[in-house]
Amino acid sequence: MVNTISKAIRAVASLSLAVAIAMPMAFAPTTADAQTRSQQGRDKGVYTPTIWVDPDGCEHWVMDDGAEGYMTPHTTRQGIPVCRRGNVCGVMNSDQFFATNSYRIHKSGKARLSEFFKKTGAVSYIITGHTDSRASDAYNMKLSYNRANAVAAIAVANGARIADVRGYGERQPVAANNSAQGMAKNRRVEIICIR
Amino acid sequence: MINTKILTVFACAVGLSACGDVETGVPFQGLPSDKSVDRGINSHHLSTLQAGIWVDPNGCDHWIIDDGVEGYLSARLDKYGKPVCSGVAPPTHTVGDFKGGSNIPDPN
Repeated sequence: MVNTISKAIRAVASLSLAVAIAMPMAFAPTTADAQTRSQQGRDKGVYTPTIWVDPDGCEHWVMDDGAEGYMTPHTTRQGIPVCRRGNVCGVMNSDQFFATNSYRIHKSGKARLSEFFKKTGAVSYIITGHTDSRASDAYNMKLSYNRANAVAAIAVANGARIADVRGYGERQPVAANNSAQGMAKNRRVEIICIR
Repeated sequence: MINTKILTVFACAVGLSACGDVETGVPFQGLPSDKSVDRGINSHHLSTLQAGIWVDPNGCDHWIIDDGVEGYLSARLDKYGKPVCSGVAPPTHTVGDFKGGSNIPDPN
């Protein structure tokens, strides 16, 4: 019984939330329906933000109400930050560094990467491995992580600091997997430089 | 104007009224819904804020801004939405001139 009631309340709550999202204009507040003291000022509790772009190029909602400042990251509804440019400072085409299904880097690839980390000189690096969509998701998660780790090992050997190493497998494609070119683009290791 | 602000900031600090109007210079009128500018002395659009990095106790980076009477703190995220924990400084330490965007000094 209690459960049914709370379910009903939740249903109504989620419905009204959906309505609020669907028609934000219908909820433009007036003095008459001010709920608390916080909605009774000249601004009626309406806080219209602007955008501040951080030095990485990512957006934040920012507001100044006269006495306080407020800020929070601008993300998509999926929680991904909205950025005008990335901090990806190197994208390695996996085909140039690894044999198929291997995470061992060729000798010439090692030399190229050593050179890259020596001359870049960032505060730290985030290394993310990616594959195309062939083979299983689990296999690709593991292969991409192993490849990212192989790159990170070269970074560490050259005195670089690694902030994080991740394998995203086939879950973060940058191209469609329905062509040879698209799949080649997705087989990559991204190096994010933190300055 | 500057004197008014210093006085009202002081009044704010010791818990007197009119804090909400501290930066208008015109007390008790209230401010409009548009919160995109810092009003009063050192007034500027908020897109021009100057940030530094504050490292949280877990070692992860946040953008920190001291804009005079306002402070801002917002997570530094990479393109995948994960916290950036760069190791640029020890936990609780700051890097960069995050007070540089305002000429209102802090009482420290």
